[in-house]
Amino acid sequence: MSSTRDIVLVALFAAIIVALGLVPPLALGFVPVPITLQTLGVMLAGAILGPVRGALACLLVVLLVVIGLPVLAGGRGGLGVVAGPTGGFLLGWVPGAFVTGWLVTRLTRAKAGTARHVAALFAACVIGGILVVYAVGIPWLAAAAGFGLQRAALGTLTFVPGDLIKAVIAAIVARSVQRAYPMDLR
Amino acid sequence: MLSLYLPGDTLLHRQPAGRKLALLIAAGIGLFLVKSPIILAAAAVAAAALLLSVRPPPAQIRRQLFGPFLVLAAIFIAAALLDGLRPACIVLLRLAALILLASAVTLSTRTSEMLEACEKALHPLERIGLLNAARVSLAVSLVLRFVPEIFRHYHEIREAQAARGLHGNPVALVVPLLVRTLRAADDIAAAIDARCYPPTPPASGRPQHIGKTPSA
Amino acid sequence: MLIRLEEVSVALGGKSVLEQLNAELSEKRIAIVGPNGSGKSTLARLLNGLVLPDRGRVLVDELDTRKSARDVRRRVGFVFQNPDNQIVFPIVAEDMAFGLKNVGIPKAEIPGRVAEALHQFGISDLADRPSHALSGGEKQLVALASVMVMQPEIVVFDEPTTLLDLRNRNRIRDAIAAMPQSAIVVTHDLDLVGDFARVLVIDGGRIAADDAPDAALRWYREHFA
Repeated sequence: MSSTRDIVLVALFAAIIVALGLVPPLALGFVPVPITLQTLGVMLAGAILGPVRGALACLLVVLLVVIGLPVLAGGRGGLGVVAGPTGGFLLGWVPGAFVTGWLVTRLTRAKAGTARHVAALFAACVIGGILVVYAVGIPWLAAAAGFGLQRAALGTLTFVPGDLIKAVIAAIVARSVQRAYPMDLR
Repeated sequence: MLSLYLPGDTLLHRQPAGRKLALLIAAGIGLFLVKSPIILAAAAVAAAALLLSVRPPPAQIRRQLFGPFLVLAAIFIAAALLDGLRPACIVLLRLAALILLASAVTLSTRTSEMLEACEKALHPLERIGLLNAARVSLAVSLVLRFVPEIFRHYHEIREAQAARGLHGNPVALVVPLLVRTLRAADDIAAAIDARCYPPTPPASGRPQHIGKTPSA
Repeated sequence: MLIRLEEVSVALGGKSVLEQLNAELSEKRIAIVGPNGSGKSTLARLLNGLVLPDRGRVLVDELDTRKSARDVRRRVGFVFQNPDNQIVFPIVAEDMAFGLKNVGIPKAEIPGRVAEALHQFGISDLADRPSHALSGGEKQLVALASVMVMQPEIVVFDEPTTLLDLRNRNRIRDAIAAMPQSAIVVTHDLDLVGDFARVLVIDGGRIAADDAPDAALRWYREHFA
């Protein structure tokens, strides 16, 4: 009955992503701005569940937004979010989680030393969780606002440092979770 | 988890979800084809009127629209400085109209109706076996069921970590949360299977089986 | 109703959990006790096909769990140790309806049966409550009710009282005692099983003792106390 288990894992991870959005941003000592945890959950979906299940978990969250549930950080949701200029950054979660998961299956061997494993996870989170998401979000923003791609990209630059920190955290968390509860990545 | 839907009986409420979605998509396309600020201004006013017709409480509207309109303001300022006032107004009015219209649809449509509309729209995928409405429905319910539970676990973990002096360490907070949640997956799946999931497809031709009464 | 285990062996993760088990279970109240790791939880899950034997077979009213898991599960309900993991829908009444929908009970009949099952356990007032807001004891009763609403012939319990406080443990004990269906209860709680018809003691994957409660529990206490 692995199929039921897959549905449960996808749904539980979607619930984790939603719950992480309900949590107030965490203040880390060395960072001036508190970091929100929801996009951390998106990176972790791919890294822990693998490409297909991770992407499905994000897709499930997108579906919840579309049907009008306040599941995004700050109690936001509804079609206004998807239709708005930042809609691409939400929809980008789905391919982003897929690429993160795919890269994790390709780049990591659980038996590798900690540093190498975490580095590979970090790379996967950056490429999938940041590059791919922005690759969807920026053109979407450019099209909505009538900007060129460069200008739209510049506008989102301020979020990159925070996202890089999240990628580091995600890599460390993913490794710890893999060791405590090994799962095959699908 | 409370949905964004506002119960009511207005004109918008009475429209079927599918129709509202189709009109929203059409309006979206239309808004991007129009270039005249006057028409766009009229559209924005009409959209605002539609949203207000749903009678949203002011506090909720402020909360829902604050973020998106902040983004709009930033876009407007950037466009005004770099391209001039007229292009900036066009973008602002267009996006405002779209967001207000989309919000009106969300506020006037039950989540169950929207879910049904989405499932209907994706029916072709179900035909080729890529999608399964029963699974989607179960998955949505599972999320709603476990979000409050996970949120509570997060607080328990945070208190436990604070007692150990590990304030605001995201790794120490997120790892136990994930492990605890994922470990439950096997039992939850078993409990679902134990109650005869997946459901028998109705077209199977089998007679309806009523549960047997216990033997004396 | 007769459950038969024929030469059943189960290995999990390369380790043997149950070895060549043979048993015929037909009594109305059967308890399965044993130390941790003895295999009793796995044995419980064989009875409704959640675990399939690697060798041998499990027959529920002549239905092979390998071939007819669905039909087996219509007859054999299962209540798990952790009620948090059994309640799957956000509102109690929705969760109760889940099993009924899966087996094709007509929509019109469902509310009536849900109401009846809730009433049977004295929890009618919980119907519209959010699942996460229930106490541990209430959750276990809802989990039991959501199994009973499907009118199984027999219910298997996997340590139903282990996570409960004393008052809720008594509520579950009374609920089990009052059930018209047969019950097979895996438990650590030896006080639960005093008036059961039969007690099996599992140790190291085998049936170490199989007798009336007095005799079996005496054996158990002598060997494991």
